[in-house]
Amino acid sequence: MRILRPDSLGQAVALLAEAGPEARLAAGSTALQAEWSLGKLRPPAIIDISRFKELTGIDQTGSGLRIGANETLSALIASGNVSDVCPLLIDAARRVGAPSIRHRATLGGNIGWRIGCLLPALLALDAELELQTSEGVGTLTLEDWLSAPSETSLITAVRIPRQNPWGHYGYRKIGLRAAFTPSVIAVSGAIITDEGTISAARVAVGGGPVAATRLATIERELVGQDLDRIDQALLGSIITDAISAPGDAFRTERYRKRAGANALVSILSGAASTEVRSGRTIRPAPDSNEPDEIRLSREQGGNRWHIRPDLPAKIAAEFPYLTDVRRADMLVGATLRLDDPHARILSIDTEAADALPGVKAVVTHRDIRGENSFGILFPDQPALCSDKVRYLGDPVAAVAAVDRETAIEALSLIKIEFERLPPVGDPLAALGDGAEAVHDTGNLVDTVQLERGDVDAAFAKSVHVIEDTYVTPRQMHGFMETEGGYAEPTEDGGLAVFAGGQYGVRDRKQLSRILGMPEEKIRVVTSPTGGGFGGKDELTVQPVLALLALKANAPVRMQWTRAESVLAGTKRNPFRIRMRTACDAGGMLLAQEVEVIADSGAYASLSPGVMETASEHACGPYITPNVKTFSRLAYTNNGACGAFRGFGANQMTFAVECQMDRLAAKCGLDPVEIRRRNLRKPGMPGFLGQPVAPSERLEEMLQAAAASPMWQETGGARPGEVLGTGMALIYQGNGLGTIPHDEAATRILLAADGRIEAHFGLDEMGQGLLPSIQAAVADRLGCAREDIRPVVGDTSATPDSGSTTASRGGYVVWKGTELMAPPFEAKLLASAGKLLDRAPESLRITAGGIADAATNSRSPLIGFAELAAKVQPAESLRAEADFAFPKSDYTEGNARFIFAFGVNLAHVAIDRVSGEVRVLDLELHTAAGPVIDLAAYLGQMEGGLVQGLGFALTEDVLIEDGHFLTTNYDNYFMPTVRDAPGRMTSHALEDLDPGDPFGPRGAGEIGINAVTPAIANAVADALGRWPTITPFRPEDILDYCEAAE
Amino acid sequence: MTEIQSDKRIALKFTLNGEPVETAAPAGASLTRVLRDTLYRTETKIGCEAGRCGACMVLMNRKPINSCLVMAWQVEGSEIITGSGLEALAVTGTVRQALAEESAFQCGYCAPGFVISLVALLTENPKATRDDLMTALEGNICRCTGYHSILRGAELAATRVANQVETRR
Repeated sequence: MRILRPDSLGQAVALLAEAGPEARLAAGSTALQAEWSLGKLRPPAIIDISRFKELTGIDQTGSGLRIGANETLSALIASGNVSDVCPLLIDAARRVGAPSIRHRATLGGNIGWRIGCLLPALLALDAELELQTSEGVGTLTLEDWLSAPSETSLITAVRIPRQNPWGHYGYRKIGLRAAFTPSVIAVSGAIITDEGTISAARVAVGGGPVAATRLATIERELVGQDLDRIDQALLGSIITDAISAPGDAFRTERYRKRAGANALVSILSGAASTEVRSGRTIRPAPDSNEPDEIRLSREQGGNRWHIRPDLPAKIAAEFPYLTDVRRADMLVGATLRLDDPHARILSIDTEAADALPGVKAVVTHRDIRGENSFGILFPDQPALCSDKVRYLGDPVAAVAAVDRETAIEALSLIKIEFERLPPVGDPLAALGDGAEAVHDTGNLVDTVQLERGDVDAAFAKSVHVIEDTYVTPRQMHGFMETEGGYAEPTEDGGLAVFAGGQYGVRDRKQLSRILGMPEEKIRVVTSPTGGGFGGKDELTVQPVLALLALKANAPVRMQWTRAESVLAGTKRNPFRIRMRTACDAGGMLLAQEVEVIADSGAYASLSPGVMETASEHACGPYITPNVKTFSRLAYTNNGACGAFRGFGANQMTFAVECQMDRLAAKCGLDPVEIRRRNLRKPGMPGFLGQPVAPSERLEEMLQAAAASPMWQETGGARPGEVLGTGMALIYQGNGLGTIPHDEAATRILLAADGRIEAHFGLDEMGQGLLPSIQAAVADRLGCAREDIRPVVGDTSATPDSGSTTASRGGYVVWKGTELMAPPFEAKLLASAGKLLDRAPESLRITAGGIADAATNSRSPLIGFAELAAKVQPAESLRAEADFAFPKSDYTEGNARFIFAFGVNLAHVAIDRVSGEVRVLDLELHTAAGPVIDLAAYLGQMEGGLVQGLGFALTEDVLIEDGHFLTTNYDNYFMPTVRDAPGRMTSHALEDLDPGDPFGPRGAGEIGINAVTPAIANAVADALGRWPTITPFRPEDILDYCEAAE
Repeated sequence: MTEIQSDKRIALKFTLNGEPVETAAPAGASLTRVLRDTLYRTETKIGCEAGRCGACMVLMNRKPINSCLVMAWQVEGSEIITGSGLEALAVTGTVRQALAEESAFQCGYCAPGFVISLVALLTENPKATRDDLMTALEGNICRCTGYHSILRGAELAATRVANQVETRR
């Protein structure tokens, strides 16, 4: 790409003519680069016009405003002149991008791009463009400029007439989330009235794929009408017909036209109905027995609220992640993949890449000395493909070179001959006869079945039956730090791998198998990690990094780009759950039939575990005497799926908790009452018949739900919105279950510098492992948090504590501490006693050291540092623990023993214009035992809630027959700050039954468990219909709105 | 008229956290890559390289921008401040302290970007409202927290900054 920097505007236009039709002007260049990131090729030339002073200035003219084309959108928003003359433009500009984009993006660019979201507003404002052409200077209305074929002209300024003080102006952009979103459609209207009669109208649409245009027929229709007597339904239907809008993978043509028309009607008639319909769900009777919870917050937390040890450095941008390590001797790795999701590899030729100067290693399957396969449950995934490619993320070859540019160039020199195979895109079709086999073993990965009682007979005698199919999304973990790190050969002929992960010991085992290298020679460091959520549980970059480092015999770093992470990283398994549930007239559950088809993607990873966990939660916490479940997991070419927070339980909970509300509606019961009638009782066997742990708190959670003020909430609606409130119970199994190995070893010792080191082979991914370790150990020993140095996530330094998954980390920290603290304390006191010449029983541990047990003195008689200096070696003062995560002896199926409980309430506002759902308030009550660290626990709750909100409303990786339509954050929509609930409150009920020996329950997954059904039930409260496809389609919601009216 | 090829290395001069920097990078490389891979200044994070997450934010001439959307040739002569160079702005200490007190972040990978957005806002507008704070943070994606801890920290910082302004009067 040539970057041309002209000296004058005239020269810029001349260059534009010379450089050809593909050349582009660049000022802020935000739109250009956004296009490139979406895969559009860079143009042969860009012409830099950013430096021309004559393109700036926002000045009032006699009739309005003149704005230089290079004025940024931020400048427009801040401009008093714009606010004075045409405030509509500010309304529109605020909806473009985000502040950081608007500081660079220019008005001229938004227009010149021809798809900018400002165009409808500028058309409604009757804007005119000043243009520089090869002929000289001229003006053209924006409308004419848009309809004229593009010529080599440069927009120098925009002229906008002053808004008519008797005019009525409006702008609305409908996007794919609440803020920082591309347009689904943007509309704008301006109406001038003369004694109530419309004398002039400008109506425009545009935004994203919708061509920016005025709707002349509508304008003609409006002129002469009495503003107060507009027939809104008729106007809506003629606007719908007048809008020309395409459909795409995100929204249909029908939706775009309808939502655009609804928005224009509400702008033009100024008549967004303010009627708020709500309360279709029967309100629970207020319960005076509120559980004794704590509200989680800094204010309420008092001295239980602590600043986590890693936070100040993170905030100061001084915290080093494993992907941040840079050294001059490090090579840079890059991975080659095919553009085809399903293909047979015929040959791989790396000769030219090997010969490129700067290339230090090229690896293919031929370089693998061990077994070319990995996978947490069973090894079906190749480290580097040899015979077949099964998804777009499959690596075929990789290069290590002196820099990234060279590595990428080398990839382009690798020749791969391959034969395309038919892609397998639909999991159900994948299981049909004659489907192309993704693996030689066939496409059925796993089946889980359970049958109890006589389902058919129970259905036959039931009074109410609800049957529906619930569809859940291919959610992306979306951790902010993509998969990456570095690997380097060690002096002893081994290898050290530093890459974000969730279980270093298992990563090492898997690497050992691939490399044919003994585990003892491999060191794996997995912390700190910039977010995991299950997505870094399976191997990611490690095999390729390891192979490259060994072959190049040099350190190699590699971090997947976001685009690579989207393609190659695991995702949440999409589920189709058909659920049929029956009850009697009193709402007592009689039977349930559940059929699940889950997409595993190209490999198994932990997907069979996900499906099994879902099946274990198939009836939630409800007694269902007759049950039949039949779940199947299929291989496809749709990316790769695996572990994700919630692990199947949240998918199933969505279906179960909606069914409960739907049956309640049929029976005339409130949502709390139907749940109470069917709730399992403490001490009952679990769903599979297995024993479960004590301290069940479901009844208390129902009390909390009944006592919630949210049922009476009526505030917060904007004009045209409908309000609703819903609830859902949370029931989440913890740990890996009875069948997998689920053990932990931990260690504590006094380090030479006097800090107490707590060694846990778990990973800090952000969830708060470090403050939890400090809290648990300091509280138990009686010292200060600062006395504790957590050591985590390094196979060379930490014992095997098991995986940091399945909500098990908190228990491991607590239990390890419980076991190690007494012997460790005894050793410390004995050593201190010897040095102080006092009986150990007369001493106690305090902040900073050992104090006199008989006094309240906080000043130690001997500090930890002094103790460490005098005991040789200090590390001899240590304790270790080795224990199993609590399980039952049930082994007929994989069953959980420990569960965590909670309830979610959601208060939502539904926009009748767009069908968008806005969550106003989320309330969470949890019962997961004692809270180890308050701030970390609250963080897990709130993060889980909003991740669940994304699942419900905006997030889905779209794949068609193995090809990704979602490629980056341009087209994957995680919640922004504007999508987060307006209010969010979290509570914890901490007590355990007397004698309960199992301590804190897992906090990692309860937050996400039941947000989606709570929101769905709130939608139904407002509209009478339950959305069953997630993320909820605004088009469906609009249908429900219409049906409700 | 000057002409540059985007893949050719060009000499670059700009100010980074108050220090003059002279380096060379491909003209079309992003400022994020120049900072991280050429200058080894990895305090600026890399999230999407499409201007859609805010992890790579820096202040360019005192405005928060996505460094992944700035090409090397556009950096010449500018003042760049990264997340670890914010001490030059008076509100930084207050913002950092308030965010820490509210336990605003978890994995922290997004934190430098959020802090840059907040410091820029409160420098320009010491009386920012909750809505101003939300607008300023629209371009920063956080996956861990659900945003409320960040908003609580931001509101605490905004209150303190507003009080400091009031006290100085």
